[in-house]
Amino acid sequence: MSPPVGIVGGGAFGRALATAAARVDRSVISWSRSPRDSDHPKVTVSSDLASLRAAELVFLAVPSPHVPALCHELGRHLDGAHLVVHVSRGLVGDELETLTEVIRETTPVRRVGALAGPLVARGLAEGEPGGGIVGTLFPEVAEAVREALGGPTLRIYDTTDVIGVELASAFVGLVTLAMGYAKAAGFGPGTLSVLATRGMAEATRVIEARGGSAKTCSGLAGFGDLLAAMAEDGRPELDLGRALAAGESLDRAAGRLGAYVEGVRIAEQILHFGARNQVQTPLAATMAGLMNGTLNKEQAAAALMRRPTRGE
Amino acid sequence: MLAPLAMSLLPKRPLHLPRLRTYVPEPSDPKIFWFNSERADILQDVVRRIMERYAADDSVEFVIGDAAYHEIRRLENRTDEAGRKGLEYWRGVIRRVGRMSSEGKYETLREISMRMAKDVAGNFDPRVYKFAARAVPGLLTGVMNPSRLMRNALDSGTRLDELVSVEGPMEKLRSLQRKGTMLLLPTHSSNLDSLAIAWVLFREALAPVVYGAGKNLFTNPIISFFMHNLGAYRVDRRVRARLYKDVLKAYSSIMVERGFHSLFFPGGTRTRSGAIEQKLKLGLAGTGVEAFARNRARGVNRPVFFVPATINYALVLEAETLIEDHLKEAGRARYIIEDDEFSRVERWVAFFKRLQHAESSCVIRFGEPMDPFCNPVDDEGRSLAPDGRVLDPGSYVSRRGTATVDPARDAAYTRDLGHAIAKAYIKETVVMATQLVAHVLFRRLCRATPGLDLFARLRHRGDIAVPMEELVADVAQARDGLRKLELEGRVHLNAPIRKAPPEQIVSRALDAWSGYHQKPIARILGGSVIAEDPNLLLFYQNRIRHFAPEIAGPADMQAAIEIAAMKGVR
Repeated sequence: MSPPVGIVGGGAFGRALATAAARVDRSVISWSRSPRDSDHPKVTVSSDLASLRAAELVFLAVPSPHVPALCHELGRHLDGAHLVVHVSRGLVGDELETLTEVIRETTPVRRVGALAGPLVARGLAEGEPGGGIVGTLFPEVAEAVREALGGPTLRIYDTTDVIGVELASAFVGLVTLAMGYAKAAGFGPGTLSVLATRGMAEATRVIEARGGSAKTCSGLAGFGDLLAAMAEDGRPELDLGRALAAGESLDRAAGRLGAYVEGVRIAEQILHFGARNQVQTPLAATMAGLMNGTLNKEQAAAALMRRPTRGE
Repeated sequence: MLAPLAMSLLPKRPLHLPRLRTYVPEPSDPKIFWFNSERADILQDVVRRIMERYAADDSVEFVIGDAAYHEIRRLENRTDEAGRKGLEYWRGVIRRVGRMSSEGKYETLREISMRMAKDVAGNFDPRVYKFAARAVPGLLTGVMNPSRLMRNALDSGTRLDELVSVEGPMEKLRSLQRKGTMLLLPTHSSNLDSLAIAWVLFREALAPVVYGAGKNLFTNPIISFFMHNLGAYRVDRRVRARLYKDVLKAYSSIMVERGFHSLFFPGGTRTRSGAIEQKLKLGLAGTGVEAFARNRARGVNRPVFFVPATINYALVLEAETLIEDHLKEAGRARYIIEDDEFSRVERWVAFFKRLQHAESSCVIRFGEPMDPFCNPVDDEGRSLAPDGRVLDPGSYVSRRGTATVDPARDAAYTRDLGHAIAKAYIKETVVMATQLVAHVLFRRLCRATPGLDLFARLRHRGDIAVPMEELVADVAQARDGLRKLELEGRVHLNAPIRKAPPEQIVSRALDAWSGYHQKPIARILGGSVIAEDPNLLLFYQNRIRHFAPEIAGPADMQAAIEIAAMKGVR
């Protein structure tokens, strides 16, 4: 009999993962800090991290700023036999530390991975046909994710370019924010297309600087995810971009949206990384300027358009 | 003149001492003293593993054909008797393989595997070990002054003691060697590395290790003699056959499984750029993970410890050839350098003459040992979780309670280990005066040439003059920056530069360079220091380039950022 699937995080995505695993007849231990009722008979809800010891595969579905501290706690209950996969789109610090790196540093778990791509909480929960990609060096992690979630309605691809998956996924948040802003500012399809394409080109530069593969950006973790975001999959970055374009302050808009918006911090993080590593990051610089109020709409557009063009 | 003549008279074939009386190892002897008694079993194990590897595989004919094809290509240009015989053998194999029965193919595979395993396998002669332990320091110091060679050869290693210093958790390493198999993973910048490490292991009462030595090292007859008799196994990088790589890996894994402490240079070859190696593939070192998994899968609980180490030289014997090779981007084409300073005795003499004037010219720093899964281990060799809890390392090679051997999984662990070792290398770097002064001078060159690419900068030979007082001030400031990093545990400074006045650091570096390298790296002219050889400045400064932005003042910040972000440094 397969061991239970562990899920850390009781937010919408964590609950959707639990439902998806239960749908393929896996028992689930779902941890959340605050007690709540179970959504499914196969799902046991717990607020004790030690209960996850019984699981083999543990999904981390919490916003990136909480991951380091949570992993310190969680690591006390896990060992080398566990597999941990996160679904966050965030990064830690100005060196763009990825969450798989954080997991490896703060827990004894080594068999780690990142699940990314156009996975939407509602679609996962309702069993809508879709797919995602797991970045992992370990074949058994990809296999375990497929066993836990894959089925007739969900295709799970895999790649060993873990860093590419995590950075592409994070960049999608930034580009989505920019797209939300540009759309609300009245720019047309041509502008939006250039913005998205060059934004993802920026992502490939950063990915390569960190040792990943540019190819990953054109797959599910990059453009695939961006298409879902543009098709209004409920990404908070899109709404935040729109709110900023409408003149709302960052704090106010973020507060109103309620959810933690990964794309906000990423602009500054990428900007610092680029400066130190001689990587050009104009979109990150522009979005950081818009969010900290040093650039307005016209200045932002002018800053991006003034850049010299060269071979694609 | 005499030394090269004497060298040329030495036999080219490996020397073995006559077996007058078999040495019977004592229980207190290191594991490697049993090597010769286990050698035949080890070879059989290697062949058995190769046969298992291809037992369920229909690629036997392909593997034999691949080996024959690559060997014929390699041997075609050889004119010696051994080369001719080899060529004949492989041509015979390729003629017959298509007509062979299945059993015939497996028999041929067995024969070729044994042939390759015998070529790889080393030899260990305790008499040579005992002699080497006494004589190597003398021989090395003797090179400094050939007229005193005999006296030095019989003398103790006091001079070498001063030249080579050791840092790190030595007591812990001694303890761990008794509890499991230790894999030493040093940085690699000179062919002297293996000698320096071997001497230090002896001096620090650590057991001798086996290691794979490139066949090019065997071109130096003295070194070759010691290699052949001290457990080194031969790695011939010219052999491209897939089967040869399988044999090497099997041999290495079996040695670790059997508890032979081993040494690997994870960077593969010597660092061409002078930089601390960061892109480690680990190669054969990865067999340590496989060996652990194999032992666990058959119920043997023998821990494996990986120990990163940095070998830090004030002067690098082969610096000129290495940086030239790096800059030509011909590193791959000239993967095996046989004509560098290491093979030229007069360069050894010049090198050691310079070292005579330097305190701790070579610092070997051992890092904290880790298990195959990058976990730190305690003095008892137990793996520790980040919260200090004792872990079972076997859990990493188990799935649902069963320990298995899984090449894909172990390759992933090996990759992780490569990252952990690379991080440890940075942290365990010991900064020498030559590197610090070279960095400051090279940074000045970058500052004076904004917007230029590396190669355009390197053409500025002798164009940059830094007034001595400015250089001293910059060195002081960079040293203070490094001291701060040292306090944070991120790097180490060689003791003499930690406290020395900055002007002394500058003069030590200039003095060390002067007279060794064929062209001056830097020279003093009219109260200024002239950067004469940007290539060698680049080589020496590359060692600390990671820290460039953190040790730069505002005026040098842009140059420092450019140095840290330089592409293609490996």
